[in-house]
Amino acid sequence: MNQERVFSLVENGDITVSEALSIIRKSASEGKISLEMSKENKIAEIQQELNRLIGLESVKQLIHEIYAFVEIQQKRVQMQLASEPVVLHMIFSGNPGVGKTTVARLIGKLFMEMGVLSKGHLVEVERADLVAEYIGQTAQKTREQLRKATGGILFIDEAYSLARGGEKDFGKEAIDTMVKTMEDQRNNLIIILAGYSEPMKEFLETNPGLSSRFPIQIEFPDYSSFELFKIAELMLQERDYQLNKGARRKLYRIIEELKAAETTNFGNARTVRNIIEKAIRRQAVRLVNMKNLSRTDLMEITEEDIQGEVGP
Amino acid sequence: MKQILVLGQTNAGKTLFTINFAIYLGASDISLTFQDSHRGSYTRTLELEAAKQLLVSDTPHYTRVVQSAVLELPWGKGIKKFEIVDTAGLMDGIHQDPQIRRAMSQTLAVVRQADIILHILDAAKIGKNNILKTIGEVDFQVAQFGQLKPGYVILANKIDLPEAMEGIEKIKAEFPGHQILEISALHTLGFKKVKEFVKRHL
Repeated sequence: MNQERVFSLVENGDITVSEALSIIRKSASEGKISLEMSKENKIAEIQQELNRLIGLESVKQLIHEIYAFVEIQQKRVQMQLASEPVVLHMIFSGNPGVGKTTVARLIGKLFMEMGVLSKGHLVEVERADLVAEYIGQTAQKTREQLRKATGGILFIDEAYSLARGGEKDFGKEAIDTMVKTMEDQRNNLIIILAGYSEPMKEFLETNPGLSSRFPIQIEFPDYSSFELFKIAELMLQERDYQLNKGARRKLYRIIEELKAAETTNFGNARTVRNIIEKAIRRQAVRLVNMKNLSRTDLMEITEEDIQGEVGP
Repeated sequence: MKQILVLGQTNAGKTLFTINFAIYLGASDISLTFQDSHRGSYTRTLELEAAKQLLVSDTPHYTRVVQSAVLELPWGKGIKKFEIVDTAGLMDGIHQDPQIRRAMSQTLAVVRQADIILHILDAAKIGKNNILKTIGEVDFQVAQFGQLKPGYVILANKIDLPEAMEGIEKIKAEFPGHQILEISALHTLGFKKVKEFVKRHL
């Protein structure tokens, strides 16, 4: 008997829970159904999570390509065909707040379910976590982080800062250690270098050996105003708030102005989150002395709650 | 994420155990994902003491939705995340309230996929009364089902009550071959062993 059918029989009161359990147990012990969520389901779930992210179409497409590539290579191995070595180290370039970390985390989960990584966790580090103060300690410190990340992803933020500081800087030592390990541990560790696009490009140009070791290079575009607005709406929805008409218009205008101003410190989704959080606080101040608040009052963000300048 | 399922008859102490176990593992708040038939699934984060006030009751069938919390366990030098799922009480027979029947069918759906099943029995009630009245057909079915899962264990709850001693003996006699841990969900007794069990089977 079909699983879903068993559940609906219980729900309709046709069979007892005990009867249902014994049916499930029997079909499980006969091997008709698996007691675990199937691998395909889990992968589909992660892909759905990825697709729910707003925008990032090119990134999603690329990840799907990688997924398909890995999957097919695994199948080819099973059929004893020649297969490409799967090197999955990546470079993520883009401005802050465009979803680099979020995507990295999802990739970790995805590769774990596919059996590429054993744990699929994400270890986020920056220069200070890899480079030590005195001679000889950097390799140790870097190796420690690499060890922590084994089985998952080592995500190095602002990776180009490792190359700054000239010949005598210990950053180079960190890079060397990293390169050595990523060759040895190719099958169970993925390294992702992340950072702004321009310095990342320079970094790779000055270290030509690195570029070839990171075959997957993903460029995260800035969000459009509309996408940012969608993100804002999603964030509010998750928090059980909603914008009224005036607030929608004002928020959209603020986002457009911020984008047009193109100040370098415009943090994309992160700035939007700050605006939202500020609006939520302002709404609270507006409501705190009112009596008889309805459910709608508590959920609604109005025009006056939304304020552009993100500050204290 | 690995799933730990807390299962048992109504009023065995599943919700109290879930919350106190979360506190024991060092969580400060509990993020509950309710799967409600009207609103789909939605999340509420509650401070643990408040959660206890709100969710624990001695009324049977108080928990009517599947509620879950994500917890972290120190794991070597890192941490391991897992989900602990508190379920609606199972019972023998067919309940007349469709909402309760739906809650039970939701529970069954989770049972299949869970990595660890903590089956809670009320040792005090079993000690006081005839086992025919207190250990239900459903408990035996769950135990049999548990044989298929390495992560199945019986938790004999309410050992702080005097009647529980006798109850534990009865449980041991009724469920030979199963591992039985003695706990008190209210006074957080025996939680260390549960934690070790969970660690071993995650």
